[in-house]
Amino acid sequence: MNKREFGFDHLGRGPNDRYRVFKNSDLLRKFLRYRAPFAVYSSVAFYKKPWKRGEWLKSELVFDVDAKDLPVRSCNCDSVCEICLDEALQIVGSIIDVLKEDLGLKNVHVIYSGRGYHIRVLDPAAMQLNSEVRSQILKYVSGAFNPKNRYYMESLPGQKPYELEHFTIPVGYSAVFTDRIKYIILHLTGEEEIDQINPRLLKDVMQNRHFLEEEKWGLFKNKIGPRRYKNLVDGIAKLNLGLVDAKVSIDLKRILRLPTSLHSKVSMKCMKVDNIENFDPLKEAVPKFVRERKEF
Amino acid sequence: MVSSYFLYPLSDEGEQIVRQQGSLENLFLEDKDLMDLVIHTKSQNISNDSYIPKSLAEYTLKRVEWYVRKKYDKEYEHNDYAFLLNPELEIYDVISFYIAAQSIGINFNPNSRESRVFIESQGQLIQERLETLSKTLREETIAKLLNQLIAADNLHWTSLAELLGSKKINLSHLIIDKGQIILDKKDFLDRFEHKIEDRIPEKMYDILIGDKIKELIVNRMIMQNTENYISKVHEMVSNVEAHPSLIQIGAKISKTLTENYSYSSNQGGDIKASKFQVEAFPPCIQNTMDGVSAGNRNDAIVLLMTSFLSYARLYPSVFKNKADLKISDLDKGLKITTTEILPLIYEAAQNCNPPLFEDDPQEKLNITAKLGFGVHETPELDKEGESKWYTPMSCEKIKIHLPVLCQPDENCKKIGNPLSYYNLKKWLMKQSMTNQQTENTKKSEGN
Repeated sequence: MNKREFGFDHLGRGPNDRYRVFKNSDLLRKFLRYRAPFAVYSSVAFYKKPWKRGEWLKSELVFDVDAKDLPVRSCNCDSVCEICLDEALQIVGSIIDVLKEDLGLKNVHVIYSGRGYHIRVLDPAAMQLNSEVRSQILKYVSGAFNPKNRYYMESLPGQKPYELEHFTIPVGYSAVFTDRIKYIILHLTGEEEIDQINPRLLKDVMQNRHFLEEEKWGLFKNKIGPRRYKNLVDGIAKLNLGLVDAKVSIDLKRILRLPTSLHSKVSMKCMKVDNIENFDPLKEAVPKFVRERKEF
Repeated sequence: MVSSYFLYPLSDEGEQIVRQQGSLENLFLEDKDLMDLVIHTKSQNISNDSYIPKSLAEYTLKRVEWYVRKKYDKEYEHNDYAFLLNPELEIYDVISFYIAAQSIGINFNPNSRESRVFIESQGQLIQERLETLSKTLREETIAKLLNQLIAADNLHWTSLAELLGSKKINLSHLIIDKGQIILDKKDFLDRFEHKIEDRIPEKMYDILIGDKIKELIVNRMIMQNTENYISKVHEMVSNVEAHPSLIQIGAKISKTLTENYSYSSNQGGDIKASKFQVEAFPPCIQNTMDGVSAGNRNDAIVLLMTSFLSYARLYPSVFKNKADLKISDLDKGLKITTTEILPLIYEAAQNCNPPLFEDDPQEKLNITAKLGFGVHETPELDKEGESKWYTPMSCEKIKIHLPVLCQPDENCKKIGNPLSYYNLKKWLMKQSMTNQQTENTKKSEGN
């Protein structure tokens, strides 16, 4: 705890008091009681000299999935609601699968942030990674680019390539990409405006997406047409980058809302999620004083 | 079997050879055995005396010259440098590797173009030397090198963090399961056979992994180790007096690069460098010029503006030409840099809210560093090469680092980098002006 930087929002307009350090939780508790800030934050980074963010030691690997900013939401609400929070949690689940099953990372935690979720990885193997590697992990887990579809058997000049679409490769990044593309297509409302996907293509996608529920990718691609299929997956790949707030993942010195503190703008508790399968923020993250209000 | 040190000079055997046979005293002396081996290399062009390195020093320079000419010179002929693939010259080659790496480490920074070109040339040499081997021999060589480079049987992807962090390898190129990079066929089949439908699992392994990934890892690890070796030499140079021959060779390497870059770059290339046309700036740059608020302003000014403006003004064809130039290659006395580029960057910094240098004055030093002049207040010629001249951020990177600035317009759909936008828009503006002039001429002729 004494290696992290703490930040506070005393005016209700974002963190305005940073570089704070606490030796133990008692001192932090006293500070909170005395100053009663609007919001509390702590750094993902550990420093030798946290009071000046000096001598960086390591940082948690973080993924911020905000329900309000999801690129595709089936609810169309203005802020966040039960539906988009649930969709955010589905995305969190699929990212955790990749972090654990593909990348073999351990010590992976989920925090409900008030408007979405933070995945916080404290695996020592990941905490030393620089921003460039984190950026690559981010793109890998979110399916942010269309994988190559031409493969060569050997590194020899003049060979003919094998053409393999992502959905024919059930391993590695291609499998992650297929999973993300499927998620987005099945959650489209048909009203979206997406770069590289014109209204006619979107309409055809909506008409034929039932093939994907049965994993019939070949049939789906045939119905769409090979050229338009490439436009479709390229367009969705760009959207996928928006599944996670990229800036949070690559920033080694970010401060994040402190679990157990209150998100004062939405009156929800920022809290650790022990079981993502049955977590319901509208039941578990509502503070007592809100629950006791008459209108709740 | 080719010696592993012919591909990996930093191996234990390579180090031993240098310790026993590497002497800096006779680097410039004519070496008859060396010349004899070069002349008798199969397919070697001997029509001109200049193709034959006559001393270890000349061999060392040829190693660098080969790579730059191969990359940039349209008239490059492989047979002019065929001796570089001749394993009979392996002892000379190992010693020349150390001479070049030490000369570069002593004379230049690890981020300098001299370092980068040498590291890349080593990667390319490995690739080409492997291509001369039979399939079996190639597999055996790679297996041996892999054992030397990786201590453990299981390779966890995070142990390649250095390669991933320096972009020598991409995470998505690897097949990873439970953290382990899968290289072995049996391991692949044990883990994934049940998942593969409609295809032969063995063939899927050959297509996705085969020997390619092993070779990629070996190649990039050797490049990384070469980079680390140069850095180590550079760190030590302040404590140990450098041998005059190494200082001399360092200067010659630099000269070789400058001379050979002229093959491609022609000082700016096809897209000519010219005064700023602010109206052709892409939306992200226009937005930055207008001022950026706290949270994004440091990245916007230091990473986005500095690289964009310097390349837009001095080297707009960087992505087409790809020659690794320094600012002083294009702006000899740094006049354009100090009177046109920096004032515009500083103006954008002043427009930020709050003004960037008011509470972050050290960002001026970072701007200088991103121009390739190290962490100093202003760019100075003798500091050039202390850091890397950063190329402009791609649109993809801007979307990650600075999403608020990315408000694409129609032209953005056609490009992947703000610099390409600038070149395109300048061209479109020029076209429209030419069309307008033609129309005006027609009208006046009609009258």
